[in-house]
Amino acid sequence: MSCEEVRAQLPDYTLGTLSETEAAAVRRHLRACSGCRLEARTLDEGVTMFAGAAHAMDPPPDLKARVMRVLAEEWVEAPRPRVRRTRSLLRWTALAAAIVALAGSLTWGAIEQRDADRFRADSARSASDAASYRLFLHALGGRDVRVVTFVQRSDVVVDGSAVLYDSDRGQSWVLVMARVPGYIGQLTVSLSSANGHAISLQPLHIEGEGDGATWLVTSSDISAFQTVTLRIPDGPVIASGTAIEP
Amino acid sequence: MRRDDRSDSDLVRAFMARDEIAAEELYARFAPRVFGLGMVMLGNGAQAEDLVQDTFVKVWRKADSFDSTRGSLDTWVLLVARSLAIDLIRRRVLETRVLAAQEDPGDVSPGAGPEEQAETRDMASRARRAMAGLSAGQRAALELAYFQGKTSAEVAELEGIPVGTAKTRIRTALVKLRDALEVGHEL
Repeated sequence: MSCEEVRAQLPDYTLGTLSETEAAAVRRHLRACSGCRLEARTLDEGVTMFAGAAHAMDPPPDLKARVMRVLAEEWVEAPRPRVRRTRSLLRWTALAAAIVALAGSLTWGAIEQRDADRFRADSARSASDAASYRLFLHALGGRDVRVVTFVQRSDVVVDGSAVLYDSDRGQSWVLVMARVPGYIGQLTVSLSSANGHAISLQPLHIEGEGDGATWLVTSSDISAFQTVTLRIPDGPVIASGTAIEP
Repeated sequence: MRRDDRSDSDLVRAFMARDEIAAEELYARFAPRVFGLGMVMLGNGAQAEDLVQDTFVKVWRKADSFDSTRGSLDTWVLLVARSLAIDLIRRRVLETRVLAAQEDPGDVSPGAGPEEQAETRDMASRARRAMAGLSAGQRAALELAYFQGKTSAEVAELEGIPVGTAKTRIRTALVKLRDALEVGHEL
């Protein structure tokens, strides 16, 4: 579709009255055209502002409690999403293996040999148990553990997560794991803060079935850094995520 | 991380995960507009409250379909609410027709008019000022498309104008409103 054709469709697209086929064609164009994306965003903002000014009214005060109660009932009765154990097992196995490798290769004065030995034994026994390596983190005197779940930002299918460990003993680290089916090569990985500072990690190598991992160990304080971004080298951002408390 | 710094995607993801704080944040952000939409489209306080409840349940059930790259969370939620309101109007029209067909014509009582709509004074005045800047044709096209979910082609047919003109009127109305109301915020 040309820009002229897309812009003619944007009012209907914004107001949700295009067919799914037509909307998909518009979305495809918007993904590659910043000019039309700006036009779409303008119309989208027009709808938001119109709604806010034209028909925003304070609902009755007791409506909130009613809605929260109904949601609570829904949450209790709705089935929880099934955990895809293969992927989570892969994730935690890789993570535990990385932690074992880190524990074996780094010298942390605050860790007694007894604690390290106990950790290695614990990790080997419960590689798929997130709680066991969290115990390890607490044994190290960790200040904070934050988790990032990646959100896909382009047509490239991406899945993965990152763990940010903020230590109060001078050794913080970041572990990034991703699965990009059908992609073989490197991804650049960066960790950024709200004020625009960024740290580059070693490239993440995607091989075989599309899995890869990278990590960073640093004596710097990374508590202000919260966003992890994956990018194809010299290409677009394919995924990003912002840390939340686990 | 402070809750109010969350992106819309993070907020929706937290809501999907049954986070009560996320639910309350979404309620604070959208309940006034959804309730107001219900008052305008349904003309009835009780049904407007039902619309708010139904919208939030539907938003939770459909949360995994929200994609921030396709548009804002605001528009997505408002369109969910509008769709529910339109369904309710259609059901109400159908029930009225069925009821009319079943009743003895002599027993039909005149339908009650819409209840008085409550409006906050500054919101209403801003809306009136912004809408006053639109032509009659632009205002009619936008209201048909927004409140009734009419496509540009349907608006064109109803208004007796070319489809291209209908599209232009809707677009111009949205752009004017965005510009005018944004200026209002800055003053």
